[in-house]
Amino acid sequence: MNCPEVEILLCDYFDGTLPHPQGIALEEHLAVCSACAELARDVEGATAFLDVVPVADPPAELLTRILHQAPRGAQKSEERAPWWRRLFGGWVENVLQPRYAMGMAMTVLSLAMLARFAHIEPRPLHASDLDPARVWQSIDDHSHRVWDRAMKYYDNLRLVIEIQSRLKEWSDQEQTAGVSGAASQQTTGGQGSEKTSGTAPPRQTPVQTNDKR
Amino acid sequence: MATVAIPAGRWTWVAPHLQARTGDRLDADAQLVERCLSGQDAAWEELVKLHSRRVYSICYRFTSSDAEAQDLTQEVFLRVFKNLKSFRSGEGLFVVWLTRLTRNLLIDHYRRTRLERATESLEDQAPALEENTAMMSRTEGMLAGREASELLQSALQKLSPDLRETVILRDLEELEYREIAQVLNVPEGTVKSRLNRGRAELARVLRRHKVRI
Repeated sequence: MNCPEVEILLCDYFDGTLPHPQGIALEEHLAVCSACAELARDVEGATAFLDVVPVADPPAELLTRILHQAPRGAQKSEERAPWWRRLFGGWVENVLQPRYAMGMAMTVLSLAMLARFAHIEPRPLHASDLDPARVWQSIDDHSHRVWDRAMKYYDNLRLVIEIQSRLKEWSDQEQTAGVSGAASQQTTGGQGSEKTSGTAPPRQTPVQTNDKR
Repeated sequence: MATVAIPAGRWTWVAPHLQARTGDRLDADAQLVERCLSGQDAAWEELVKLHSRRVYSICYRFTSSDAEAQDLTQEVFLRVFKNLKSFRSGEGLFVVWLTRLTRNLLIDHYRRTRLERATESLEDQAPALEENTAMMSRTEGMLAGREASELLQSALQKLSPDLRETVILRDLEELEYREIAQVLNVPEGTVKSRLNRGRAELARVLRRHKVRI
């Protein structure tokens, strides 16, 4: 018998389930192997110590907490889900919660109040309003009207007007400067001088220069 | 949170003297599980009452914290409520299935909290052990149950998780070697070897703190 075998067989030896011949062999090994003898002493001592350790009982409130989470009746997973949950998935459940329903009701109420203050008179709905062609025409008409209003509003903004007028001023100034530069070049060229005029604008677009040439 | 994988149990030969006990437990637990799945509320309560002490005890001995043990026990039973259908009574004992679930959660918890434990100062734990040691040296006779329990908690934390869980499952929860092998998914010889190494290590830790064993 070797040391690794002893390490395993010690369990059965202390349990009293080790067959007699193996027990004798183990005791003979312990008598000659000090390391295994020490192991056996430690194992025996620890087992004796563990015997006096009481059971760790859970607090009573833990039992109550666990039972509170226990399923009621048949397990939910076994129940067949309703058709709307199978069709739309779990998000419908969230939408149908009372808080969302209350939120939607408050939104409708707020919009109704705003419409009343803005003097928007609700018109009763007729069957002819549901005609697809008419619905499309109405959507198209409304979308164009909204677009036109948005563009008009944008154009009438003070900031936009100022920016546009400033851009126009710059453009006019550049054009004017281009014309005067070309004129002065022609004047100096006529006098036979190769020097460029000191009054020429520092930024002159090549396009404009070419045009003037 | 990481998922708990429950591998299919591997079954080994059962000693004749254990067959009657195993058969009784198998039948009783299998019937209880059947009743739970059929939707009997009383069965859930019985299941929790019957097994919560074991689960809590394993968690408490492993973590050495009452709060953590309570949380983990609650989590174990939540998983039991959800996954009870995956338990096959024909494949083994409910106790083994439950203990494996508990052990996997504990190992997840151990890995998750490793960093926190590493940052904890060792000096924080030392005074408690010193106090216990002083108390033990004063009492010349047999250790009182509660004192032994506290001392064991301190000593168990010095063991590696492998050795600690084996000692807990065998010496405190009194599972069979075969059952522990199924829970830990290791051969029975490995269980016995780890158990004796764990016991010996435990004895050395206790002796280092002047506990006579």
